Amino acid sequence: MSNNMAKIADARKTVEQLKLEVNIDRMMVSKAAADLMSYCETHAKEDPLVTPVPSSENPFREKKIFCAIL
Amino acid sequence: MCDHTFVAITFGPCDSCTLNKPLMNIYLQNEPVNYCSLCVEMMACQGLTQGENLASLKAESEGLKLRLEEERAKLHDVELHQAAEKVEPLGQLVTKARRSLKGHGNKVLCTDWCRDKRRLVSSSQVTEHAVTMPCTWVMACAYAPSGCAIACGGLDNKCSVYPLSLDKNENLSAKKKSVAMHTNYLSACSFTNSDMQILTSSGDGTCALWDVESGQLLQSFHGHSADVLSLDLAPSETGNTFVSGGCDKKANVWDMRSGQNIQSFETHESDINSVKYYPSGDAFATGSDDATCRLYDLRADREVAIYSKESIIFGASSVDFSISGRLLFAGYNDYTINVWDVLKGTRVSILFGHENRVSTVRVSPDGTAFCSGSWDHTLRVRTGRYLSLSDTHTHTHTHTHSLT
Repeated sequence: MSNNMAKIADARKTVEQLKLEVNIDRMMVSKAAADLMSYCETHAKEDPLVTPVPSSENPFREKKIFCAIL
Repeated sequence: MCDHTFVAITFGPCDSCTLNKPLMNIYLQNEPVNYCSLCVEMMACQGLTQGENLASLKAESEGLKLRLEEERAKLHDVELHQAAEKVEPLGQLVTKARRSLKGHGNKVLCTDWCRDKRRLVSSSQVTEHAVTMPCTWVMACAYAPSGCAIACGGLDNKCSVYPLSLDKNENLSAKKKSVAMHTNYLSACSFTNSDMQILTSSGDGTCALWDVESGQLLQSFHGHSADVLSLDLAPSETGNTFVSGGCDKKANVWDMRSGQNIQSFETHESDINSVKYYPSGDAFATGSDDATCRLYDLRADREVAIYSKESIIFGASSVDFSISGRLLFAGYNDYTINVWDVLKGTRVSILFGHENRVSTVRVSPDGTAFCSGSWDHTLRVRTGRYLSLSDTHTHTHTHTHSLT
């Protein structure tokens, strides 16, 4: 008997969960896509893997030793 | 920035018991109400109403699932890659291996970058230990935001926190603190914005939020029907949510305070091995055993891109975005890393070099490099487009590596 109640409780929670998911506010994909694109564009300059950074600023570069002429 | 307008009230008086608690939004007889989690449980256990039984509830479920699909389809006016047609294409990405770290005695399973960008922690199926763990598989590891501690765990079903010390002779395992206890393996862990709380996911199908100091369980997250394999916290500006992915092929988005499952996505055809938020917090990517990676937009509430090729037939084990979100790095079980143009859906680069499965891919916090860990016992750090010889280090077996 209690096993049945547990299944019913589960099923009820699933129904409530789905109702919540159905009722959320959504936006059009075109608008969401535009936002993603604009974020990429705004941050492209700060992204060293998209916009190459000069070698002098790359922390992983091989360090060069400069000679000083006396 | 992300705007979850549908999660209106998350803390306040419960509509049923009137106590001030974290609230869950539910619908009773199609009216929205806010109940605390205890009252939700009690409501679910109430006696049957007229004509209600297991079969009728299941039918209602199925009906709601169809409605959900219909609602989502209404907004599907364009594909992301179509919208991105006018975006300038990326050039050929050329990467240089900068470091190859061979310190692990065995397969590398997980890595995390320290916020100072110069240190990595990695975990592996260890046979020798620098930090001794009473188990053979360490599956998850994470750096604390301060850089002063590491959390890790695995087949011991626990997540433990180890304070870091500059003194190499100090026995770190003596100061270990057991924080999380699950009833199955720990698959992933992450500190929240402070060193004080840890979020964990487990093979027991749940995620949980813990207080580090007391070890107390603060919130648990139920909704997956199989092992949860991965989790990722939303970028801090966008609020208290996180996403999880599991063997039930679902990716779920959760509210950390109330424990509620806000959104759920089930379009993958196999286990989801890895989930990662897009840097703005408005979307997240997944990597799966079905050999695809996918992008889900949270505000459009649907999958908006699939990253796949007929030639890619092995599962994707790990994904990460570059800091602008334009590139998605994905490690696969066929030993390669594929780099995808997130907007256009095309592959920008394929990287070889590992001699076994790539188990983890992480971009550094400043975005200059990304690290891949593999079952071939190495970690490789790569940058884009720099000319220099690559470097090889051999490290004694420790969990932290200094890279510069």
